[in-house]
Amino acid sequence: MVKSMSDFQPKIIALVCNWCTYTAADLAGTSRLGYPANIRMVRMMCTGMIDPKYILKAFLDGADGVFIGGCHPGDCHYINGNLKFRKRMPGMETIIKQFGFDENRLRLRWIGASEGPEFQHHITDFIQTIQEMGPSPAQGLMVL
Amino acid sequence: MSVYAMVKEKSLTEAVKTALTRLLSQDLVDAVLVAAKSPYSALPMPTLVAEASAMDGIDPLAPAAPFNAARQAATVSRQATGKRLALVLRPCEIRALIELVKLNQCTLENVVIIGIECLGRMENEVFLNHAAVHADMAAEFQKNTSLQDDITRTCKMCEQFTPTHADIVMSTLGAPENAVLFASGTETGEALLKELGLPTAENPAGSETVTRQLLEKRAACKKEVFAETSEKINSIEKFEQMIATCLNCYNCRQACPVCYCRECVFLTDVFAARPEALLRRAQKRGAVKLPTDTTMFHLTRLSHIAHSCVGCGQCSSVCPSNIPVADIFTTVAAQVQARYDYVPGRDVGEPIPYLMFEEKQKSGESK
Repeated sequence: MVKSMSDFQPKIIALVCNWCTYTAADLAGTSRLGYPANIRMVRMMCTGMIDPKYILKAFLDGADGVFIGGCHPGDCHYINGNLKFRKRMPGMETIIKQFGFDENRLRLRWIGASEGPEFQHHITDFIQTIQEMGPSPAQGLMVL
Repeated sequence: MSVYAMVKEKSLTEAVKTALTRLLSQDLVDAVLVAAKSPYSALPMPTLVAEASAMDGIDPLAPAAPFNAARQAATVSRQATGKRLALVLRPCEIRALIELVKLNQCTLENVVIIGIECLGRMENEVFLNHAAVHADMAAEFQKNTSLQDDITRTCKMCEQFTPTHADIVMSTLGAPENAVLFASGTETGEALLKELGLPTAENPAGSETVTRQLLEKRAACKKEVFAETSEKINSIEKFEQMIATCLNCYNCRQACPVCYCRECVFLTDVFAARPEALLRRAQKRGAVKLPTDTTMFHLTRLSHIAHSCVGCGQCSSVCPSNIPVADIFTTVAAQVQARYDYVPGRDVGEPIPYLMFEEKQKSGESK
């Protein structure tokens, strides 16, 4: 369904929390909620452990977008890891923007373990956004 | 109200020496960390002086700083020793030291900070060339405006030349020839200045005008550098052109006063690519440059420390490939710091943004 919009198939890296978004993805799967196959999911123990360099690595290696899924504030398995990651977001946005990546190529969403439909919605929406933006400027570039 | 004292001697350096020697001889401190030249070179190095008789080589007003001495200051103040230390530092060094305190790398307990109102530093080579001609660089630098134009590119755009967080501020701006003005910045500094018994003085009338003019000049330069650099790095392709000659020597990281990790991730197995991984990368992309991860290194360092970048310019000074690392860092750092409304070294009680979080994020920060 999304394919008809454009031939460009974005590659998206999703860094998702083991305790919520990853479980939500599982639920979406068992509930047979479909979404385009453009995401490569990496299961993290918590969004709080996402070092900025994971995001940079994804972009420099040609990812068109990076999606981060964590627990709703207050629901973190480690009490406040998600809030710690949230604090890093403005800095990351500023940095990728300066180097020519649209800051909307990086997205953070809270998706609880029971929110299979929300997972489907957020992923579909993000893929669509990236598809409209086109390929990442690092695409096809020799990155030293 | 600050307490002012003025020391006038045969030369500027003698005037500083008089004051610092009194600190030691009157047992007000146990040691002083101050830039001093060795018998072998005119280049002043951070030196820990414990005896008043060993003050001979000190030269903190010479326009050279081969290190951001915050690192050395943090080394001597890593733990409280029960001894009282005076640290004679430039404003960028104090700001970096404050960041290191927040990062639990050192303590300000029993430490007196003597801040230098700083006119800038030269690159080591430039300084040594001038020093071969002029015996007293500190004095020459004060009166010779052509020498003042030889300071580093980063110093030329520095607006924070007046020290913050200093117990005592040491200044020559607006002071008479061969005189150094001391002003207290804190109660500790005030008490210390009184105990030192130096001749009291008024704040020189001209100093505010001089400071304002310098500030205007620096601000204009900064604006220019930021605009130029921001344009030069606004795409990853342009950034690659800028760092294409990078040797992955990591000197910039070594010189950076706030890049404090004992073991940098770039030296760990995380970035130690195994042969099969390298081959896989080469096959995937057609070719891979070695050593790898040059772009990753610079961007990672930016994302790790941009909020704490004090703009000392040491990263540019140590680059063997003459990459304007400091231009890149200060340009990006200004944006990151504005986003967090954070100024490194402003206040020791102000937490580093990445080390804290809020239950409710401030507007403009939430996604």
